[in-house]
Amino acid sequence: MMQLTTGERQLGAIVLIALAILGIAMAAAGRTDVLGIHGAMVLLYSLALLFLLFSSAFGPEPSPARLTRYYDDPIKVGVGLTLFWAIFGMFIGVWAAAQLAWPILNFDTSWASFGRIRPAHTSGVIFGFGGNALITTSFHVVQRTSRARLADQFSPWFVLFGFNLFCLIAVSGYFLGVTQSKEYAEAEWYADIWLVIVWVTYFVLYVRTLALRKEPHIYVANWYYMAFIIVVAILHIVNNLAVPLSFAHAKSYTIWAGVQDSMVQWWYGHNAVAFFLTAGFLAMLYYYLPKRAERPIFSYRLSILSFWGITFFYMWAGSHHLHYTALPHWVQNLGMTFSVMLLVPSWASAGNALLTLNGAWHKVRDDATLRFIMMAAFFYGLSTFEGSFLAIRPVNSLSHYTDWTVGHVHAGALGWVAMITFGSLYTLVPAIWKRERMYSAALVEVHFWLALVGTLIYVFAMWNSGIIQGLMWRTYSPDNTLVYSFLDTLLAMYPYYIARAFGGLLFLIGAIVAAYNIWMTVRAPSAAQLPLDEDLPASDRPLDGAAPTPAE
Amino acid sequence: MPEVMHRKLERTATGFMLAIIAAASVGGIVEIAPLFTIDDTVEAAPDMRLYTPLELAGRDIYVREGCYACHSQMIRTLRDEVERYGPYSLAVESQYDHPMLWGSKRTGPDLARIGGKYSDFWHVNHLNNPRDVVPESNMPSYRWLGTTPLKLSDLPLALRAQRAVGVPYTDAMIENAARDAYGQAVPDSEQSSGVTERYGEATQISAFDGVTTNVTEMDALVAYLQVLGQLTRAAYENPAAPQQMPDPDD
Amino acid sequence: MFTHETLVEGSKMWGLFYLVGFSICVLIYTFLPANRERFERAEREIFDKDDGPWT
Repeated sequence: MMQLTTGERQLGAIVLIALAILGIAMAAAGRTDVLGIHGAMVLLYSLALLFLLFSSAFGPEPSPARLTRYYDDPIKVGVGLTLFWAIFGMFIGVWAAAQLAWPILNFDTSWASFGRIRPAHTSGVIFGFGGNALITTSFHVVQRTSRARLADQFSPWFVLFGFNLFCLIAVSGYFLGVTQSKEYAEAEWYADIWLVIVWVTYFVLYVRTLALRKEPHIYVANWYYMAFIIVVAILHIVNNLAVPLSFAHAKSYTIWAGVQDSMVQWWYGHNAVAFFLTAGFLAMLYYYLPKRAERPIFSYRLSILSFWGITFFYMWAGSHHLHYTALPHWVQNLGMTFSVMLLVPSWASAGNALLTLNGAWHKVRDDATLRFIMMAAFFYGLSTFEGSFLAIRPVNSLSHYTDWTVGHVHAGALGWVAMITFGSLYTLVPAIWKRERMYSAALVEVHFWLALVGTLIYVFAMWNSGIIQGLMWRTYSPDNTLVYSFLDTLLAMYPYYIARAFGGLLFLIGAIVAAYNIWMTVRAPSAAQLPLDEDLPASDRPLDGAAPTPAE
Repeated sequence: MPEVMHRKLERTATGFMLAIIAAASVGGIVEIAPLFTIDDTVEAAPDMRLYTPLELAGRDIYVREGCYACHSQMIRTLRDEVERYGPYSLAVESQYDHPMLWGSKRTGPDLARIGGKYSDFWHVNHLNNPRDVVPESNMPSYRWLGTTPLKLSDLPLALRAQRAVGVPYTDAMIENAARDAYGQAVPDSEQSSGVTERYGEATQISAFDGVTTNVTEMDALVAYLQVLGQLTRAAYENPAAPQQMPDPDD
Repeated sequence: MFTHETLVEGSKMWGLFYLVGFSICVLIYTFLPANRERFERAEREIFDKDDGPWT
């Protein structure tokens, strides 16, 4: 925060004091309700940040020279937050997985029972890990591709800390039993309102920075980040419309009922996957893949076509979560049709990524970071194919309600989302901290194999358990009666639940290795050997002097 | 030149954002908007009753504990599901459900028609420690429900919020919410008669957790589980039942 | 007024026209010869070795 001007420090102080007052108001109104506890947390959170701000409040005015450099301080903090949530969210995930195999692992407490830690896992990894990774990398990519510094120094901090306050309120709420029960939108009304404020700030900051760009064309990675920001806002607001018991209660009821609620929920749920877990991470792919491989993207036009395809088609696909339910038949069929069509832009993206690497496979062999990105593109192709396949009604009749869905989600979440994130982080960290390379290439290699083996064990376990259970549920004896009781099918699951927990554990260990490696990279002495002119404005240099050869 | 250039750049960005909204909003509109006329087409259920305050409180506990993460409440139009769980779920059955709890995963069995299948006593034992009743179960135990008193004072607010989102609770129901919750869990108390008066003769009044001295969260949750699938008989009487059932082999 | 059926028909038909129209616009934008240069430039510009904003 050393670069903040006096005006920005004052603005920060005003916002934090307002937030602290809001916390006191929540605590006073909510009292013994969980809202009161959350009020106290808001108060402590804002006071802690206020303390940080004041500890450098009376320093000298920052040098104007800062404006000739990119603003990377929020990115550095964002990397730390990303890794914290990664380890936290994955740990809760492993714990939840272990509880399915050994139910005593909640130690007979309410807060650690499966139903409460499951949303803590999903929100922890999706919003905590994924969200922080998206915000962090978007600040990096938008500055580099626009050749412009972030539009101001206050908003990035507001977005980053505001978003993490949302994550904190959401996740702590689940342990305390505060949830809307809407999957991936469990946070209650006050957290949802706060997220809207943060998100609008994020949007305005992003657009203002784009408006400062020195290129007439907006690089395609920014398109994906923009789609992520805009569409998530729409989804979030519509799905979370709710009426609270009172302003002193955490509990609320959604305005949507029954069938409409199911459609709104899965329109949200599926597009949270599309625009939170796909669009934003494709943005990472379109920037960090060419950067790392030092090759331009195979076809820029194809990336544009697949962008519009994904933006358009995904929004129709949500109803495939509701096959054979009380949702009208025509909506189910529309969802199925568009889910299958979605394969075209999805594979166009995956193919574009893999073809970019054509001719650079020796780099993939030698560089575990690039291999992370390559594997991510591969798993993206795999899980989008699986997604379209599972959206077909008769297939879905077997897979739905089983672990196959869970396996599918994790092929995407571990194989695609987490791997592209780690690949991007390993590229970003040395660049931001001005290090020549990561602390240990060997540890990146170790992480890669832990992540890959962990993902494969997890996914294969869930494919097996899902298909076995789906088949057992519908097995008939020759005299036309169901052969297996529900309990028979549960018993068949136990070995797979143990295998799944083990696969997840490997993945978690990989994340810990990554955090250690990044920590040691940051701690290493700054590489003075980096050429000084790296920090100079680019206008002094020819524009396309360093353009690499195109892909063949 | 920079001025003109700048304005042009901004226009590009704005147009681009509008294009994203145009592309992304249409799918949702096409699929969601017609659903608000669904009342024209779905089966009517004139016998449908509302959740009593105690059942609603139980539903909120079901939500709080994340039961929906492992139990669906949506029997699909597939032969094996209908034979295993009962008649497939109709849209009308969740018309007052804010939120719906259809679920997405069956780590445990579907609960859409669990009401009445087991005794209150069985449910209480099962919730206290599932492995006492089903040794192979991997469900968490919910011992604390039986010792945590139900917060009756919030119930009028809960019913009022439900009415605000469209559930037709009457003023009398809201006013007497706490009384009715007590009456439903304490049979033969003076509060009991009001429950059947307001919610219908079929309402089950019982000492759900086996103890009549207080109303606990266990009372509420068991009352809710016992009413699942019991709010209307529409699913049993609907003549169109087998129509949508596809061939199990396809 | 609107019954469920007419609304469903209407929204499906409108959705289809919208899909076709939108696809045509996107294809034109992507393959417009005037845009070729800017796309090719965008492909390369991220490699320009600089680590500071342009002034």
